[in-house]
Amino acid sequence: MADFPLHSNFQGDFVPVLVLVDTEDTMDQVAAKCAYHSVGKRVAPRPDKVIRVRRHRAAECLPRDLRVRDAGLQAAETIDVIFADA
Amino acid sequence: MALLNREDWYDLARATNWTATYVTEEALFPEQMSGARGIPMIAWETYDEPYKTTYPEYVAVQREKDAGTYSVRAALERAAFVDSADPAWVSTMQAHYGAVALGEYVAGVGEARMARFSKAPGNRNMAVFGMMDENRHSQLQLYFPHANIKRGRQWDWGHKALRTDEWAAIAARSLFDDIVTSRDAISTAIMLTFAFETGFTNMQFLGLAADAAETGDHTFASLISSVQTDESRHSQQGGPALRILIENGHKAEAQQLIDVAIWRSWKLFSVLTGPLMDYYTPVAHRKQSFKEFMLEWIVVQFERQLLDLGLDKPWYWDTLMRDIEITHHGMHMGVWCWRRTMWWNTAAGVTPADREWLEEKYPGWNRRWGRVWDVITDNLLRGDESATLPETLPLICNMSNLPITHIPGDDWDITDYSLEHEGRLYHFGSEVDRWCFQINPEHYKGHQTLVDRFLAGAIQPPTFEGALQYMGLGPAERGRDAHAYGWIEHFRKLRSAA
Repeated sequence: MADFPLHSNFQGDFVPVLVLVDTEDTMDQVAAKCAYHSVGKRVAPRPDKVIRVRRHRAAECLPRDLRVRDAGLQAAETIDVIFADA
Repeated sequence: MALLNREDWYDLARATNWTATYVTEEALFPEQMSGARGIPMIAWETYDEPYKTTYPEYVAVQREKDAGTYSVRAALERAAFVDSADPAWVSTMQAHYGAVALGEYVAGVGEARMARFSKAPGNRNMAVFGMMDENRHSQLQLYFPHANIKRGRQWDWGHKALRTDEWAAIAARSLFDDIVTSRDAISTAIMLTFAFETGFTNMQFLGLAADAAETGDHTFASLISSVQTDESRHSQQGGPALRILIENGHKAEAQQLIDVAIWRSWKLFSVLTGPLMDYYTPVAHRKQSFKEFMLEWIVVQFERQLLDLGLDKPWYWDTLMRDIEITHHGMHMGVWCWRRTMWWNTAAGVTPADREWLEEKYPGWNRRWGRVWDVITDNLLRGDESATLPETLPLICNMSNLPITHIPGDDWDITDYSLEHEGRLYHFGSEVDRWCFQINPEHYKGHQTLVDRFLAGAIQPPTFEGALQYMGLGPAERGRDAHAYGWIEHFRKLRSAA
C-alpha cells in the first residue's frame, strides 16, 4: 500500500484536481475519491449514473475492479472520471 | 547661444558605436548578452527608432507626468475614495499592484540589458529611457498601494507578491524570467517590448484606465494612463530590431520569439485582466468585454503590425481566437474557488444581471461555466460555504504555471496536453504551451509548478494549510469573497418570488 497521486479530470468540472489514491484502490474506489472533490461542489450529482474511470481522452473505461497498481498509470497522470450508465 | 534643432544633431549624437581596440568585439558585446546573431555592427547601426526623444525633453515630460499623478493622488486621498469603492474595485487594484509593480522593476532589468549590450546604438539610447521609465513605474505602483496598508494587509502585496511562492506570483515570475531576464538584448527587445508591451500592456493599462474612470477612481486612472504613455514609447524598440533580423535572414527565429512571447503573455493576461474586466468591474461600468478588447487591441492592431513588418500571424492564431472566448472564464472560476490562495478578495461577478451580460457577450456561457456556478450558488444558498472551498490543488500547466482549464458543464472539454521528457511527466494547458516547451526544453525543464513542489515534498505539512503557508499567505491576507456572498441574495429573492 502506498499513496499514489493522480489528477482527476471530472466530467463537467472546470479544472482537473490533484487526488491522492492508494495503489491498492480499485477504479471504483478511485472514482469515489475523485468524486469527493467535484460532485456536489462544482458538479451536480447524477444519482442515476455510476462514476467510472478511464485513461485521459480514451474511449473505454478501465475495469471497475482493476487496482491502481495493475493499471499501468504513471504518478501524477491525468485520468478522466465520467458519469456512465449503471 | 542658439540651440540646434533636435533633428540637426540627434542622429550624430547617438551614433555611439566605435571600433574596439583594447578588447575584442565579442568581449565588448558577448553574444549571449547581445544576441547579434552574427549580423555585423554596421547593420545594427541602421536601427532607427520611430519615437525619438532627448534627455532634456524626457526629463521635462516625465516631471510633468509625475507631478500630475501624485497631485491627483494627494487630492483624492483626502476624499478617501478607496473607503467607499465597490469591494471588487479594491480587489482589482490589489491584484494589479501585486502582479505589476515589481514586474516593472524586472522590466527595468531587461531595459538595462538592452542599454548595455544591444549592438544597435539607437536601441541602447532608447533603452536608457526605458530603464528610467520602468523604475518610475515601480516607484509609482509601490507608493500608491503602500498608502493603503493602513486599510488592510492585502495592500502590502503590492510589494510582497512577486517575492513569494504564491501560485499566481510564480506564474508571473515564470513569464517575466522567460521574456525579460533570461534572454539576450535583441530577444528582449522583441519579446518584452514588441510582444508583451505592444500587444498586452495596452490592454491592462488602457482597458483598466477606461474602467477606472467609469468607476470614479481617478487616482488609478491617472496612474496607469501615466504609465501607459511611457509604455507606448519604449515598446517601439522591438520593431526596428525585428526589421534588422528579417533583412539579415533571421525571420524564422524572430517569428518564433514573437510566437512564444505572445502566447505566454496571453495566458498571464487571461488570469489577470480577463477576470478584472468581465467579472470584477460592475456591469454598468464595463466599457468593453475582455473578448471585445482582445479583438480590438490584439487581433486588429497587433495582427496589422506583424503583417506590416513582413511577419506572419502566429501559427496558433485560430486557437487564440477560440480561446479568447473561453480561457479567462475558467481562470476566473479558479481564482474565486481557490480564493484563500489569493492576495485579494475575489469577486464572483455572477449575479443574475452579470450572468445575463455574460451570456450575451459569450453565447453558451450559462450551459458551460453557468452549470458550475449553479452548484456553487445552491451550496451558498444552503449556507454550506465549506462545499465551495477546495481541499486540494488544481492541475497546473508546466509552461504557464496556471491551472489547466477549458470548457466545463454541458460541453465539457478539458485536455491535459501531457509530455514525457527525460523521464519526467509534464502537463500543459494547450498544444501551444507544449510547443513552447518542445522547441526549447533546456530553457524550461528544471522548473517546478506549485503542484510539482507539493508532490516533491517541498511543502510541509503536505496539506492545504501547509500550501497556504508555503505561499506566504497569513490569515489576514488570504482572499475571501469580495462581497461576503451578498450576491447570493439576488438568487434567494428570485427563488422566493418564483
